Amino acid sequence: MNRRKTKPFSADFWVKAFAYFLIAFLAIACLYPLIMVLSVSFSDNTAVTKYGYSAIPQDFSTDTYLYLFVHSGTRILRSYAVTICITIIGTILSMIITSMISFALSIRALKYRNQIAYICNFTIIFSAGLIPWYYVCTNWYHLTDSYAGLILPTVFSVWSMFLMRTYFDAVPQSLYESAKIDGASYMKIYVSIAIPLCKTAMLTVGLMYALGYWNDWWNALMFINDRDKFPLQYFLYNILSNVNAISSGRVPSGAAANIKLPSETVKMAVTMITIGPIIFLYPFIQKYFVDGIMTGAVKE
Amino acid sequence: MRKEFKKNRELYLMCVPALLVLLAFAYIPMAGIWMAFTKYNIKDGIFGSEFVGLQNFKYFFTSSTGMGPKVIKNTLVINFWGLIFGTILPITIAICFNEVRGKIFKKVTQSAMFFPYFLSWVVVGAIVYAFFSTDTGMVNRMLASGGHDIVRWYAEKKYWKPIIITADVWKWAGYNSIIYMAAMTNFDASLYDAASVDGANRFQQILHITLPLIKPTVVVLSLMSIGRIFFGDFGMIYGIVGNNSLLYEEVAVIDTYVYSAMRSLGFSYTTAIGLFQSVMGLILVTLSNKLAKKVNEGEGLF
Repeated sequence: MNRRKTKPFSADFWVKAFAYFLIAFLAIACLYPLIMVLSVSFSDNTAVTKYGYSAIPQDFSTDTYLYLFVHSGTRILRSYAVTICITIIGTILSMIITSMISFALSIRALKYRNQIAYICNFTIIFSAGLIPWYYVCTNWYHLTDSYAGLILPTVFSVWSMFLMRTYFDAVPQSLYESAKIDGASYMKIYVSIAIPLCKTAMLTVGLMYALGYWNDWWNALMFINDRDKFPLQYFLYNILSNVNAISSGRVPSGAAANIKLPSETVKMAVTMITIGPIIFLYPFIQKYFVDGIMTGAVKE
Repeated sequence: MRKEFKKNRELYLMCVPALLVLLAFAYIPMAGIWMAFTKYNIKDGIFGSEFVGLQNFKYFFTSSTGMGPKVIKNTLVINFWGLIFGTILPITIAICFNEVRGKIFKKVTQSAMFFPYFLSWVVVGAIVYAFFSTDTGMVNRMLASGGHDIVRWYAEKKYWKPIIITADVWKWAGYNSIIYMAAMTNFDASLYDAASVDGANRFQQILHITLPLIKPTVVVLSLMSIGRIFFGDFGMIYGIVGNNSLLYEEVAVIDTYVYSAMRSLGFSYTTAIGLFQSVMGLILVTLSNKLAKKVNEGEGLF
């Protein structure tokens, strides 16, 4: 690409100016809401009720967080623990299941690999729909109010398998063949050759799964009624949907008086707590996601 | 066949856990599709309940509440505008990224734009609330300080399609722009050099080189979205408006309608809706895959 100096007020100049403006504008549009959430969570509740939301903390205070973590009992800590456990156990299980089948399907000597891949692909283009799925999950597998219900239904993603196969497919088969001649089993090849060679891939797909579990509330909405088993996202969802019901005027004011509404700062603090770990890890994990998307995109 | 299984037994065993998950959560539920053609009741079970043919489907399209056609329309409208803006904006971002310099500026802005992808719809719902809540929301405060009347957003359904489409585009713009940037890194730089020697300015280069080159990617991604145009984003709708009955009619998509009608209108009726959706999906995905192969030199979507 050419890198000549751009003359002021030429066509090139306007293109450049537009590009800088648009990108800066959109970056702010993506960050501003988060800054607002953060600042409200560190504000004093009476000030927020009086002056509304803003991007600068009003009467800076950490009371809300103190209240949530120290004085409000164990509910939020419990939800936190549920989310962390689900994310760790779920991701490990998902990775084992996904990497094994991706590895197996990347071996050219496997005669029925296309048929197996087709069995997987078909679930993407056709599904039974929500109700039959819900029916078997609750009536046959009894996932209601069980932690398994938060993991198993989403434990294997065919899309993630696609992505991982792209990486495994890039490993030269001759490496496997020579190990095979030396008498190694496929299990050994998988553990000591394929996985070490695809470390980045494992990390990328693993992080994608982890994000999925962390952000999941669909499974909880479907299966969990017991408040003690709410993951963090579903905890937040419940707070917000109570608030929605009242601010839409749907709930009669008499009834509304009996429901103790979480304060504005609590809502935003819970939001912050929910995304906190993502924010802290973001600088380190971002590049793996970009890598994953690019690998997926190039294949398309 | 037996010899093959014996020889590669280990590899087939490695496929078993994944296949079991698909069996349990994708294939076995397919048996439940039968409910769509019956009048399901708990006592007689899925296969013992009375067979009613296509009655459930008929009810979906012709019932007096008109909810069926309404939710189909909502799904298509939200997905259509999501597709249009969700394509134009990321391409514009990707092109603009090619024009700006400065490593830190690029890194910071890209990180910022990619971040919404990491948020769950519930968190996006909290952000939407921060903007639109009646008493404390940003927007009403701005309206009030400008001397305008405030709006009870969560009770006014007409605003919510645009709000939801905006949230959708906002969440995915950074992610999708990365896909287009990935496509653009493969473009032949000598084309641009030749064009600039010929005196084409940057705008003409974008118009006559970048856009035509990026067309196949756009077509493939759009076809993928069109294949799923009958599927609403349950998480998006539920995360942002929950089960708010005042906004329901305007933003209910097929998926949320199925969920909320599950208890009130029964399993058979809602299974029928899901089946209609899946069949439409199957038809559209197959068609778009065929089309994609045409524009993409034999490479289908999968």
